[in-house]
Amino acid sequence: MSIALSRNRMLAFSLPALIAILPFLGACFYIFRFSISGDKASIDGYSIKAYLDLMTPFFGRSVWVTIKLAFIATIAAMLMAVPLAFLLTSLKSPLARRILTVTILLPLILNLLVQAYGWILLLGPSGVLNSALRGMGIIERPIFLLFNETGVLLGLIQTSLPLAVFPIVSSVRGLSQEHLEAASSLGASQWRIFFDVTVPLLRPGIVGAASIVFAFNASAFAIPLLLGGRRVQMLGVAIRDMISPMFNWSGAAAAGMILISLTLLILVFSSWLVRVTSERTRG
Amino acid sequence: MRVGLLPNEGGGTYRFTMLFLATIGILISSLPVIVVTIMSFSASDNTGFPPTEFSLRWYADVIALFVNEDTSSAQSVVDSTLTSILVAVIVMVISTLVCIPLAYALVRGQRKIREGMELLFTLPLVFPLVILGIAFLLIAESLRVEIGIWRIVIPHLALVLPFVLRNCIGAMNGISIELEEAAISLGASPLRAIWDVVIPLMRAGILAGLIFALIISFNEFTITFFMYTIDVSTLPIWMYSRTVSSLDPSTLALSVFIIVADIVLIMLVDKLIAGRANLF
Repeated sequence: MSIALSRNRMLAFSLPALIAILPFLGACFYIFRFSISGDKASIDGYSIKAYLDLMTPFFGRSVWVTIKLAFIATIAAMLMAVPLAFLLTSLKSPLARRILTVTILLPLILNLLVQAYGWILLLGPSGVLNSALRGMGIIERPIFLLFNETGVLLGLIQTSLPLAVFPIVSSVRGLSQEHLEAASSLGASQWRIFFDVTVPLLRPGIVGAASIVFAFNASAFAIPLLLGGRRVQMLGVAIRDMISPMFNWSGAAAAGMILISLTLLILVFSSWLVRVTSERTRG
Repeated sequence: MRVGLLPNEGGGTYRFTMLFLATIGILISSLPVIVVTIMSFSASDNTGFPPTEFSLRWYADVIALFVNEDTSSAQSVVDSTLTSILVAVIVMVISTLVCIPLAYALVRGQRKIREGMELLFTLPLVFPLVILGIAFLLIAESLRVEIGIWRIVIPHLALVLPFVLRNCIGAMNGISIELEEAAISLGASPLRAIWDVVIPLMRAGILAGLIFALIISFNEFTITFFMYTIDVSTLPIWMYSRTVSSLDPSTLALSVFIIVADIVLIMLVDKLIAGRANLF
């Protein structure tokens, strides 16, 4: 006897969740519709004027800053995520593992304000770092790390690190011991094994994680708002400024569509990259 | 012989580099939280480091804030906290109730449908929150109906669905179809088999999803930043409005309460899924 799901029951089981996600899909469509609206403040007619109006040096700079910061933060996060994933999977004590898991995961989940407070206390003119450096006599006047790109970068790395670590942890768990043992018994050094065996085997996991981290960082809002001030105009903040002092709703929607396209492009490109490279490895 | 990715001895520069990078990662993850915690015990009014004296005065301030109703500000911290908790609980219950049947349908259903649906329910995870906030705001404004607390619940729901669904699917994956068939062959109806056999077995995953939904909604800032009104506002928004101009040490003490609550809840999730499933 089988209990294969009938089409109707399958639909009935899925329906509540589909209703719950419907407002989200509605919101996606609404933004798209608004971005091609003929009017700045309401949906009326069709026009691509909102997009054309974005072709300014100011918006171009904003796109550039977004791509630059998201890219650097992604590279930095991946450099730390791989060793952290190795550490997390090689810890024997369950308690140590749990503490490390919580330490890494907390920044993604914890109220972003609390983390911004932490960075302000650390990097501010009378903060931990400046006091320590001054105490040691390395600097005389405080160095400015806050309300510029450095502060935003650190915040981005911190909040996106968990998104990098945990997917790599699951790839590391799936790593075959035989490959590593074979390389090691043939006398390969640790670095050799790392670059010639481990990294190629982990590549799909690493590329997938990196693309999600990039998308997450490119669409960051609270971190650049709280740590960058008005000075670092990443797209998220620039979009907010379009609606808050300027009430340019269709412009904000168009800028939003550009941001979405940017993140989707990266996600699609990375999944293509994974497919191509894994085919080459197999062949 | 087991070849570790992090050798215990030897390894030279490899081991050193890996541990060095991991240490920087741990420092970047934890330092902000540690500094907030230390400064919340400072006795002075400013936030200079290191604190010269320690005291619990800011904790007393936070408790006083909650006990003595503050009438000077438009939105009291008590109201914001209650709204935050109410929103988080509604989001938690609804998201779990809709994800359990969906997880069942996806795991037992066709592979193709499952892949598409999983993709659909991952979208909110990578979708820029600012744009989502603006879109929900525009929709809420154009509705011209007062929906009260639901203006925050509905966007939060979209945000937590990916996390809850993953936990439910993870729990459902481990349950073999034979157990259900056995129950049915003993005379149970298919729905009864789900209720009495499958759901109890899914319990750990369901609980993990519940807690995940609770903490994500309770800590959410970006979308709420666009959606809040004078009547419906949450704790993170209250904290933001209080610290727009300068950082007040009592807010740090309040932050420590939130940090502790989050750590306890994450520990609980980690214990519940105990390495069987991935966190996300």
